[in-house]
Amino acid sequence: MHDQPTTAIFYRLGSFALVMLGLAVTIFVLARVVPGDPARLALGPAATAEQVNALRHEMGLDQPLVVQFFSYVGRAIRGDFGYSLVSQRPVIVDLKETVPATLELVITSVVFMFIVAVPLGVVTARYRGRWIDLVGRILSLTGVTIPSFLFAITLQLVFARLFPSFPILGRLDHGLGFSSGPTGFLLIDGTLAGRFDVVADALKHLALPAFALAMAGIGQITRITRSAMLENQRKDHVLTLRSFGVPERVIVFRYLLKLSAIAPLTIMGLEFASLIGNAFVVEMIFSWGGFASYGLNAILQKDLNAVIAVVLVSGLFFVAANLVVDILITLIDPRLRHRGSR
Amino acid sequence: MAAALLDVQGLDVFFTTYGRKRQVLRDVGFSIAPSERVALIGETGSGKSVTAKAIIGTLPNNATIDGGRIALEGEDVLSLSRDRREALKGTAFSLIMQDPLSSFNPVFRIGTHLDDVMRFADRRNGIRNGKAARRKRIAEVLRRVQLSEPERVMNAWPSELSGGMRQRVLIGLALLHRPRLLIADEPGTALDVTTQDEILNLVNRLVEEEGMALLLITHNLGVVRKAADRVVVMHHGDIVETGPTERIMKEPAAAYTLSLLDAVPALFGPKVTDQPESRGVPIVTIRNLDKLYGRRQHRFHAVKNVSFDLRKGEIFGLAGESGSGKTSVARMVMGLTPPSAGTIEIDGKAAGDRRATQIVYQNPGTSLNPRRSVEQTLTLPLASIGMRGAARSARLDELMQLVRLPRSYLGKYPHELSGGQKQRVAIARALAAEPRILILDEPTAALDVSVQKTIIDLLLQLRDELGLTYLIISHDLSLMRNFCSRIAIMLRGEIVEEGRPAELFAEPEHPYTRALISAIPVVSDDEEHLKPKVTETERQRFLVAATQ
Repeated sequence: MHDQPTTAIFYRLGSFALVMLGLAVTIFVLARVVPGDPARLALGPAATAEQVNALRHEMGLDQPLVVQFFSYVGRAIRGDFGYSLVSQRPVIVDLKETVPATLELVITSVVFMFIVAVPLGVVTARYRGRWIDLVGRILSLTGVTIPSFLFAITLQLVFARLFPSFPILGRLDHGLGFSSGPTGFLLIDGTLAGRFDVVADALKHLALPAFALAMAGIGQITRITRSAMLENQRKDHVLTLRSFGVPERVIVFRYLLKLSAIAPLTIMGLEFASLIGNAFVVEMIFSWGGFASYGLNAILQKDLNAVIAVVLVSGLFFVAANLVVDILITLIDPRLRHRGSR
Repeated sequence: MAAALLDVQGLDVFFTTYGRKRQVLRDVGFSIAPSERVALIGETGSGKSVTAKAIIGTLPNNATIDGGRIALEGEDVLSLSRDRREALKGTAFSLIMQDPLSSFNPVFRIGTHLDDVMRFADRRNGIRNGKAARRKRIAEVLRRVQLSEPERVMNAWPSELSGGMRQRVLIGLALLHRPRLLIADEPGTALDVTTQDEILNLVNRLVEEEGMALLLITHNLGVVRKAADRVVVMHHGDIVETGPTERIMKEPAAAYTLSLLDAVPALFGPKVTDQPESRGVPIVTIRNLDKLYGRRQHRFHAVKNVSFDLRKGEIFGLAGESGSGKTSVARMVMGLTPPSAGTIEIDGKAAGDRRATQIVYQNPGTSLNPRRSVEQTLTLPLASIGMRGAARSARLDELMQLVRLPRSYLGKYPHELSGGQKQRVAIARALAAEPRILILDEPTAALDVSVQKTIIDLLLQLRDELGLTYLIISHDLSLMRNFCSRIAIMLRGEIVEEGRPAELFAEPEHPYTRALISAIPVVSDDEEHLKPKVTETERQRFLVAATQ
């Protein structure tokens, strides 16, 4: 019919490219404006002025800012983010090692969020005002208000005390003798290698940090799902189905849920930024060795190439997550596919 | 009465809100014979919809039935088990909801709704139908409601169908299991006049062909005359009168019924009011007005070459159905949107003086901010023209007097006011900055008939007292017949006919005008005979024109 989902998606792709460009300009300028000479920092106080100048020339820091920017973008697109001053390796190599760890954590926690929050939102809306609603609402309020680092430390302490054998640090038990494979995702690499003991152990390691990270989102999404369900169940179309005797479970889990999924999905896209932010802290607490802790180190050490790369990759995550959300919402809601309609 | 299909006796229903119990139905009793058509009429809050919900079993959770009996073919449905009660839905009685636009879940295809309704009704009644069999029956039903391409309709999303089409699908939904009683809640009222008429004809024909009984819930007495054999009049949860339609229309026994009948605006005959023609100078001059929305392939030509004069002191009506461009014209006169071409002059100057024109919107329930008291609502326009202190307070008094509301109402909030009172506040707000021209956007459409009359009377008095000029936009020609001094009929962005109401109704020239007038439901046979005659092909032509 008049469906044009592809046009809408291309339009969004274009606008997201613009967002990325804007982000690149901002972070690049910021990184050059902050005080402190990266060349001096890299060489240490003992280096002579000639040595520093030589390095500055080598790093291109003596070029005009615009030239620096475009040559940087040109290289970045090819995957060259320059050398990390701290690790003394190309930044891209560091990213390849650390990004999968973070992605694995973040994706697991998003899955957690939806598995826990959506049913909780549906149930609290369905039994509004009963005890289960109260419990759910207290739970979601707790999730929203408690900072994730506090939650992470609490989880660690409680598990260390009650289940001493449960892993509270790292991604994998070193005793298994498994180092990451082609993708860097332990769950995928473990499955590919047929090492299901690795997969099980990785899941055990993932549980606590992913849950700590998901907690804030669980609170948000429960609340949003609940209010969307409450709003939609008063609509005429629900009464219509009810008056024809369509069972309540079908009305709730089929008709209402799909319609009410739009709001939490939108929120998820926006929440993704704070999810990445929280990952910085949670990774530190659980010694995750992911890209967030790498970024944190880079910031503390003023490792400019690494900082810029980390910010760009975070931005890319955010933009990609929102693109996925937009595509999902467009698939759910046919009205968004009609261009030119009101 | 022998073998009633549905027999309601002594029904008492209460609603409990915040611990307070309120009776909404008091000793309601009536019966419907097989294939009889009964109308339940009454205004907002009369309990007519609650009665329908009690019958079907979809009362809200805070409702309790404290007494009475609802018998279907002699069996009390209130004492049935939950499952048996559920099994009656769609098979014994089916409900057609009022607003077809919101009656479908926007993220599911039309066919999904139909299939689910059919599947679960089948299952409850122990019928085994495969998906293909269901699809066949659904297509059959959609053809019965005159949707010629059932496959296309089933695959469509609700937002892709016009209001009239969605209304037809809703009726089809109700027919799926050949119910014995069809309950129709204000069928078609949310749609345009011509579509509404068409829907009513369709319901009438289906009821007759399928041998169903009909319980018609409506506030429109014209609809009652057309589609009911017997009438039950309700008022504040009580039944005030029951009787054959003809008798009720001619010699109502209850005073309330009489007041309802009196409030219906007449179209023809001695009860019609003719507004005098204005001899004033043109205050608004509109020439060759055009409005285009959108760009390139999405371009929509909303207003085409519209010209008219608004003379001082007159009431000019722009009549048309949704999408005819009447609202766009009003917005341009208000200066809310610029014309794409053409000129609007107010008192010889280009439009744009916001103080000269003000607007009263259709629904005071949404046009008033619920968090602002009447005083705050009225103060805003006064403050914007720099009025303060004692002058402002005096002006507030004056405004309240103008719209005949007591001064004490200044402290009230919208939810404490009735629909009519809210509309009075909206009128007072529009008058605050002393405009010369008032634009009335369906000013009575959201109100009950009896209240409509009081608002119209108030507007007429205000016109004389303040020397105002009105531009009213509406789809309700029966209202405009008695209220306007001139009417222009709009179709697809153009004015197709313009004239004095009496002439327009007596000898409509354009076929669309004829179609519009003939579609208005009237309350007496005499008026029915005076309506212009429209051929079936003509009617179809404009029905398509209006929905597309």
